[in-house]
Amino acid sequence: MVSDMNRYDVLVLGGGLAGAMAARAAAAAGADVAVVSKLHPLRSHTVAAAGGINAALAEGDSWEGHAFDTIKGSDYLADQDSVEIVCREAAAAVVEMDHLGTPFSRDETGKLFNRPFGGHGLPRAYFAGDRTGLSLMQTAWEQLVKKDITVYNEWAGTSIIVEEGRFAGIIAYNVADGTLDEFQAKALVICTGPGGQMYGKTTNAVTCTGDGLAMALRAGCALKDMEFVQFHPTSLHGPNILITEAARGEGGIMKNAKGERFMERYSPKMLDMAPRDIVSRAIQTEANEGRAYPEGYVDLDLTHLGAAKIKERLPEVHEFAVNFAGVDPAEKPIPIEPAQHYIMGGIATDNAGATAVPGIYAAGECACVSLHGANRLGGNALLECIVFGRLAGTAAADFAQKHAQVAGGAASLAADDRKIDGLMASEGKEGTERIRQELKKVMWEKVGIYRNEPDMALAVGAVNDLERRYANVRVGAKNKRFNYALLEALELKNLLDLAEVIAKGALIRRESRGAHARTDFPKRDDANWLTHSLAWQRGSRIEITYEPVRITNWEPKERTY
Amino acid sequence: MATIKVYRFDPEQDEKPRYEEFDVDMSPGRTVLNLLHDIHYNEDPTLSFRRSCQSAICGSCAMHVNGRTGLSCSMQAKPLLDRDGYLVVEPMKNMPVLKDLVVDMDGFWDSVHEVDPFLQAGRDVPKGAYVVPKAKMDLLKIAQDCIMCGSCLSECTSREANPDYLGPAALAKAYRFAADERDGATMGRLMAYSEANGIWDCDTCLYCNEVCPIHVKPMDAIMRMREMAIEAGIESQGSKHAIAFYDTILKSGKLNEFTTANKSLGIRGMLRTSDVATKVILRWKIPEVRKKPIEGMKDVEKLAKLVERKRRRRTQR
Repeated sequence: MVSDMNRYDVLVLGGGLAGAMAARAAAAAGADVAVVSKLHPLRSHTVAAAGGINAALAEGDSWEGHAFDTIKGSDYLADQDSVEIVCREAAAAVVEMDHLGTPFSRDETGKLFNRPFGGHGLPRAYFAGDRTGLSLMQTAWEQLVKKDITVYNEWAGTSIIVEEGRFAGIIAYNVADGTLDEFQAKALVICTGPGGQMYGKTTNAVTCTGDGLAMALRAGCALKDMEFVQFHPTSLHGPNILITEAARGEGGIMKNAKGERFMERYSPKMLDMAPRDIVSRAIQTEANEGRAYPEGYVDLDLTHLGAAKIKERLPEVHEFAVNFAGVDPAEKPIPIEPAQHYIMGGIATDNAGATAVPGIYAAGECACVSLHGANRLGGNALLECIVFGRLAGTAAADFAQKHAQVAGGAASLAADDRKIDGLMASEGKEGTERIRQELKKVMWEKVGIYRNEPDMALAVGAVNDLERRYANVRVGAKNKRFNYALLEALELKNLLDLAEVIAKGALIRRESRGAHARTDFPKRDDANWLTHSLAWQRGSRIEITYEPVRITNWEPKERTY
Repeated sequence: MATIKVYRFDPEQDEKPRYEEFDVDMSPGRTVLNLLHDIHYNEDPTLSFRRSCQSAICGSCAMHVNGRTGLSCSMQAKPLLDRDGYLVVEPMKNMPVLKDLVVDMDGFWDSVHEVDPFLQAGRDVPKGAYVVPKAKMDLLKIAQDCIMCGSCLSECTSREANPDYLGPAALAKAYRFAADERDGATMGRLMAYSEANGIWDCDTCLYCNEVCPIHVKPMDAIMRMREMAIEAGIESQGSKHAIAFYDTILKSGKLNEFTTANKSLGIRGMLRTSDVATKVILRWKIPEVRKKPIEGMKDVEKLAKLVERKRRRRTQR
């Protein structure tokens, strides 16, 4: 089953925006780079990011203003030195992407146009229509083509090889023919993006299964702040397709079933433009108290914007509403409900993207520096991918230059081979889809927007139970080519591992901060919990340790909007 | 419940493709992708198809459904069944099938790579962002949102006839740079795209515009590049043909086959295609040599002016 060995200086796992920028930076630093990606880079979830990328480029704005908004938005859990790096680099990052070809929208004078986003004191989200993620992804991919960087498309990573305490290579599964292969390199940048598929309602793609996060955990990296999960307030009721925050930035207003502008009660100053955690809780409260529609949704009203402005500024929103909800947003409000959207936590890294294991780096949504703390502001994720993607790629290339290749990997390859053979041969009674659906249900209901002790304790037990049942899982398809049933079984294991980390971390953290809202501990508790959680795998157990938040210039204050 | 017919082929086991029928829940609101997921999760896990975002932005799930290619995630199943009385899902055309609904897109990507799909900076790169008039930036709109799903190539009649033709997605990508104020290689691009298998090889069937799930207009992009190439004075067989065609229409309102062929192919070219002429003569379909102007020549002239004015407005803003 083993075919040719592939050797590089730097491997990048995942070809989304962070991965492509990391690969470009590593190549620019002289490294021989390859990208290994479960999806073609242009299929990455980056393309679903709609609204914008933040930078303090406008007159009267400053990187300090951007940093303050980000830190306040994070409910003071962000590491402030990391926030400073990103906000200082933001303007240069946007300008660089413009120079590389991103078709940013222009104002009448030909300059970059910006718009307001939730939680920001000033409008500073730059955009390309409402397909900003797609546009930035195109630009980053174009650079991969230009620099002739090798991309292994539709290769799913299965394991990270660590020998002598250092990174040695990865094992990946070739979806096209069902073979496993070993890739050797001196350094790795993990850029595998989101893992929201453990939630029943999510805007994440079905392929967002947190593969890199779970692989890193098993390889000895720590996962930081995983209990902080963002729920986006405005997903289309039903299919949970993301309706961008730009819809509110352009003037959209949310109303409950009684026609009340309910945000007046929750955020008198920022109203609909309050940060996502606050708006999602507001909608959930409206539903809990019987003021939403019976199915649990509320209205997002754009009708007053008029058909022309909607089509010009929010073409994708228009399209989604018409195609997936049968609603013309120029005539009727769009039915919306909160859905899981983003995981603030991720593979713990330092400001250069380095993890606890020498040679392993991470960037983008799967990483946690921490830029977003307990709640991410819209427009900061694309920015993070570019800034930290570049930094991690450069650092990985530097590491590769200074270190020799670590040998070994045959054992890992054999182990993954056995794992796959075992799944294929299993005559167990459990189906992957049933376990996945049960996982989604329990995570949505028990570790969702509002949380409490008994619910989460139940969730931890339920996830452990599902993990035991997973041992009996049977893969119904035995074919080699494009065996998605097998791929889904591998992905499910990753989701289960991560769900356990999220539920445990959330259960232990006895406070409410940002997106982590506990009804039994409704207040933020800086005396005890101004700390990051770090989840480690010790044998088959998850151990959680804590470390302090790095504070530079902004003392934690009460967070009101 | 209703029946869906799905194309099946695993080259490792099957000698030839077959169609398989499944009974699925086709209530209103369900997409073609929902149905395929039902089958994959509940009935036959061996069914293979690509998919990811389920919101028409990642471009993974393009398929040929009831005779037209599009994204299965944004195709409502019931209206198709009601319209045609059946629902048949097949892989995209013009690309080899690898397994069931999964096609080999290497040829698609090769074409895209061929057009140098990246910005080539000009001499004056500003310190900050480029200042580009909004109207100029808007020129990219017909192409910039392409998600590379392959739907257009699947339906492309020119690609079907000529596998070397670059195809609509690649040429839309080409236009996206050729029309970008920030790009410094426009002339070189237009010359390269004017060569064989490029902009002049589109047979203008319009299918690409029609099927694009996010309303990119590849054919419009190709036509604009033809205009740009002619304006830039780039001579090619295609541009000569277009100019000759235009001239003869302006003269008589009719196509003069003799002068058009002479101007676009030249005498030698005409001799090379003499077999066509022979066939025409044998079938007694000889066109008149002198074209009498048609009655509505005034309208033809008005039309020509209108088109010219519209084109100027677009390019000179």
